[in-house]
Amino acid sequence: MSAQLPSGFEALEPFVATWALATTAERAAMRSASSPEQRAAFFAAAAPLLDSALAALDGRAMADLAPQERRLMDLMYSLAHVALAVEIQGPDEIKSAPLRDRLHITRSATDRRTAA
Amino acid sequence: MNVAAPAYRPIPADDVAWLGTDPVPAAPYYDPAWFELERKAVFLKSWIHVGHVCELPESGSFVRRELEFAKASLLIVRGRDGVIRAFHNVCTHRGTQLVAEAAGRQAKFSCPYHMWTFGTDGALLSAPDFEAFHLEKKDCALPQVSLAECGRMLFVNFDPQAQPLHEWLGDYAERLEAMPVARATTFSEYTYEIDANWKLTYDNFQENYHLRFIHPRSGGAAIGADNQFGYPASVGFCGPHRTQRIWSNPAPDLKPFQRQASMKGIPALMRRGLLDLPHGRDYLAFFPNIFIIGTPTQPFSHTVYPIAANRSRGVVRVYWSGEDADASESFAREYSLCQIRDIHAEDIDMIERGQRGLESGAISHIHFQHMEALCRHLFNSVNERVRDYARETGETI
Ligand code: FES
Ligand SMILES: [Fe+2]
Repeated sequence: MSAQLPSGFEALEPFVATWALATTAERAAMRSASSPEQRAAFFAAAAPLLDSALAALDGRAMADLAPQERRLMDLMYSLAHVALAVEIQGPDEIKSAPLRDRLHITRSATDRRTAA
Repeated sequence: MNVAAPAYRPIPADDVAWLGTDPVPAAPYYDPAWFELERKAVFLKSWIHVGHVCELPESGSFVRRELEFAKASLLIVRGRDGVIRAFHNVCTHRGTQLVAEAAGRQAKFSCPYHMWTFGTDGALLSAPDFEAFHLEKKDCALPQVSLAECGRMLFVNFDPQAQPLHEWLGDYAERLEAMPVARATTFSEYTYEIDANWKLTYDNFQENYHLRFIHPRSGGAAIGADNQFGYPASVGFCGPHRTQRIWSNPAPDLKPFQRQASMKGIPALMRRGLLDLPHGRDYLAFFPNIFIIGTPTQPFSHTVYPIAANRSRGVVRVYWSGEDADASESFAREYSLCQIRDIHAEDIDMIERGQRGLESGAISHIHFQHMEALCRHLFNSVNERVRDYARETGETI
């Protein structure tokens, strides 16, 4: 299978199918729909790569990201959601999810406007 | 960090004693008859936030806004002359709602029923077989509602006699113009509906007394040291409007990833000159139902629209200046939005529990301590208007 992410980020390949999502609302929904184990595994793999991923993507406009880079960016956005679940909410994540789902994200600055 | 932290200086009770200290009647928080008076005395006579200039970038750009308190659907349009106006979304032929889309861009607006067609300035441009009416086109324009702007925020007022917006905002107009929202070019948004009175809902967001109990995890950075409730550093009042300065925790308890994530947006904010705006720790509450936060990493507005005595809709917008400059800024914006949404989610359920308790009629009064002064000030401002209105119109309370 060919690489879906820029080289150096092979460790995140198994998470692309679930977590490389185009809009904030989709990422929020996946945070709620995923299992604690899925979130923990993604956070453990992705959090240590935040600095290197953003460093690899910085320095040009978001619209100029290549498809592989865009996928990496989408993973970092999902990491923002999952980090709140794992690091901040912890054991409270399960009871807070249905409350959070009542706040409907209607638009977001980071929504992908064109298909990658 | 072992830097000696400046001590938190509590706000003396005497500073807000002028607001009164008596218990506050509970019925205004659930009684439909009181709500009906509020609708007329407060909401149909105040400047109400309906949007941001960045939503209407070009001539013909429009948004539709449903305002249940006025039973109105508004069409807010930037005209060919560049002016933004608000109209009732109502065809002047036989009243059909003109536009079904929530937002868009059109050169003119045609009613689907018999094709009366209006311009971006509300004028009737054409109507099939118009000679068969005994009418002149100039008398058939869309009904207009006053709209004004301050700090790129758009407000409407249904009262034709309303004082100008800048006068209404008073000393706080200048503060609003210095907030990040006044420089915003885009925003993220989430909305919610809640089974609770608009004041009960809004009050939740103007007191910090609940933080340590409701947000022990998500709000940990806002409390601590010698300010275990995260009470504000100062409060202020200006007519029916109010402000508080958020206390700066000298040693916020941030988790490692949280700390890392919060730093990602700082370089871009610095480049944009947004880190040291004068009101970066301020909360500005504009009567009756919006407050705006100046925090550079998370500048947001929260508007609570009343639907019924026991139902409301909240709209939260986090504002950004410029498109995402790079991956770091973009990531920081995502984290910031999710973080504030997590906190708000924790409030919603508790507010509804409050509404259910009040509606039982079991208690005749509620109580505000002096650090819930902003809640008391909102009640006082509403109460004064409702009573004046009842006196003028002879309605009974
Ligand atoms: S009601 Fe609109 S054209 Fe007839
Ligand atoms: Fe809260």
